[in-house]
Amino acid sequence: MSAESLILFFIVGAFLVGIAILFSSYIPPKSTNPQKSETYECGIPTEGITWLQFNVGYYLFAIVFLVFDVETVFIFPWARVMKTAGTKGFVEIIIFFFVLGAGLLYAWKKGALKWE
Amino acid sequence: MLVMRHELLLVIITVILLLVEIFLPKDQKHKIILPAILLFTIVTILGFLPGITGELFGGMYVSTALTMTMKNILNIGTLIVFIQSVSWLKKEENKEKISEFYLLLLSTLIGMDYMISSGDFMMFYLGLELATIPIATLAAFERYREKSAEAGVKLIFTSALSSGILLYGISMIYGTTGSVYFTDVKAAFEATPLQILAFIFFFAGMAFKIAIVPFHLWIADVYEGAPINVTSYLSVISKGAAVFILMIILYTVFAKIAIIWRDVLYVTSIITMTVGNLFAIRQRNIKRFLAFSSIAQAGFILLGLIGQSQLGMTTVIYFVLIYIFSNLAAFGVAGIIANVTGKETIDDYDGFYRTNPLLSLTMMLALFSLAGIPPVAGFFGKFFLFAAAAQKGFYILVFIAVLNTIISLYYYLLVIKAMFLNTSDQPIGYFRSDNYTRIGLLLCVAGILVIGFASPVYEFILNLSYGLY
Repeated sequence: MSAESLILFFIVGAFLVGIAILFSSYIPPKSTNPQKSETYECGIPTEGITWLQFNVGYYLFAIVFLVFDVETVFIFPWARVMKTAGTKGFVEIIIFFFVLGAGLLYAWKKGALKWE
Repeated sequence: MLVMRHELLLVIITVILLLVEIFLPKDQKHKIILPAILLFTIVTILGFLPGITGELFGGMYVSTALTMTMKNILNIGTLIVFIQSVSWLKKEENKEKISEFYLLLLSTLIGMDYMISSGDFMMFYLGLELATIPIATLAAFERYREKSAEAGVKLIFTSALSSGILLYGISMIYGTTGSVYFTDVKAAFEATPLQILAFIFFFAGMAFKIAIVPFHLWIADVYEGAPINVTSYLSVISKGAAVFILMIILYTVFAKIAIIWRDVLYVTSIITMTVGNLFAIRQRNIKRFLAFSSIAQAGFILLGLIGQSQLGMTTVIYFVLIYIFSNLAAFGVAGIIANVTGKETIDDYDGFYRTNPLLSLTMMLALFSLAGIPPVAGFFGKFFLFAAAAQKGFYILVFIAVLNTIISLYYYLLVIKAMFLNTSDQPIGYFRSDNYTRIGLLLCVAGILVIGFASPVYEFILNLSYGLY
């Protein structure tokens, strides 16, 4: 192996991707009409300006949701091996709950759970 | 004592402070300042107790005497930042967010500790992210100020980009060696072109964090926009931690391609020193000025990394220790001036010595130390760095570094000239700095004056570096 193989790798990579893009723009038959160029994902056309400012509350809720999400991720493997993990595992998961709970309590106190 | 002592202690006081913050009434938030500082002082002192070395989690976490010393150095620096930021936190607009400052700062410190102690790339990356994301929040701490918000956004974007590049490098390393553990990677490393490319990506990602030219472009805006105490943390502790882990990884994982990374460091070191110095000359804002001076200092640190030896390792740690004290002193003086008067440009410092002699003298000591003038610690730090590089035969590099030191002397002296020789019709009036700021600056001055002459410190680090990597 030497540096040439690396350069070759880049050239071949760029070549292959370029060929794919070129082919897909030249080969297929083209037909355009207004209906085809509409946004199709959510049905109706959008109204007004889409560059709106979203309520920051959404982010706060998402982050608080993450607390429970992470909790599930950790509690499930622990519940699976609870018997073999024993007291040590139990104490560890309690500490973990405590830290997460403190985080949730903090968010609660700061009013992150209130929708305004 | 526990193997993971530093991190556990930090986690414990973080949770304690979080609980205190939850149950403190809204009008008494300032009461957390003293407990926070005292708790962190205890943690810093406990860190110096002799600890056991060892591995945890099957080698993901490695603790050696050397990593412990690195963590202690970071702890000392953070303690000084804690003390120095009190006068800024007591301002009316920050009163409600005092404990958040401490919580976020402690979180980043936990991240850095894990990063330094990591034994595999996953742990390293987790620590790196934990050390980066809260800092972006801290940079946007004064969110009512547009520049502060801008600094936060710029920091998070650049760190996202650099993390992406870094992860790409790590994934290539994993792909070619089949492991993420440092020891396994080291054994399976064959210096194939793909692995060298992986190293380049990895180095670029780290270069963003340390602000090595040409990956330094975010630094001036972020340093200028962020609150000055956060800037001092970012330029000293953050950079120090990144240098430490880069050094460990270069010396262990990439030991087989030392010839290659020596060339990379050789070139980047020269560019970093020169660009940092030349740009610093033109800056009028003290924060931007210190930002570019810190880029130049990063170049000098790379110089020590090149001499891949015990001596190089020791000098880098020693230099970072001195750099922490010198830079924190400079930022401390600039911070107290900005807090009291709101003035941040060098022209405002005209005639500062007449009104505030003690602060001027502190600033002078700090800048002398950064420039490397003999009686203060900075001289010894630079001298050992140059010696480490010269020992390996990099004479041209050392010559360029000495030239750069002379350039840097010019712009550091410009600030000193403004304070001591220039006169101004409206100099900054006399003000009494509060006790916390005084203690912080006193610690820095003591560090600057003592460490240079205290050869036990140097020998202690030298002994630790032997035979470890």
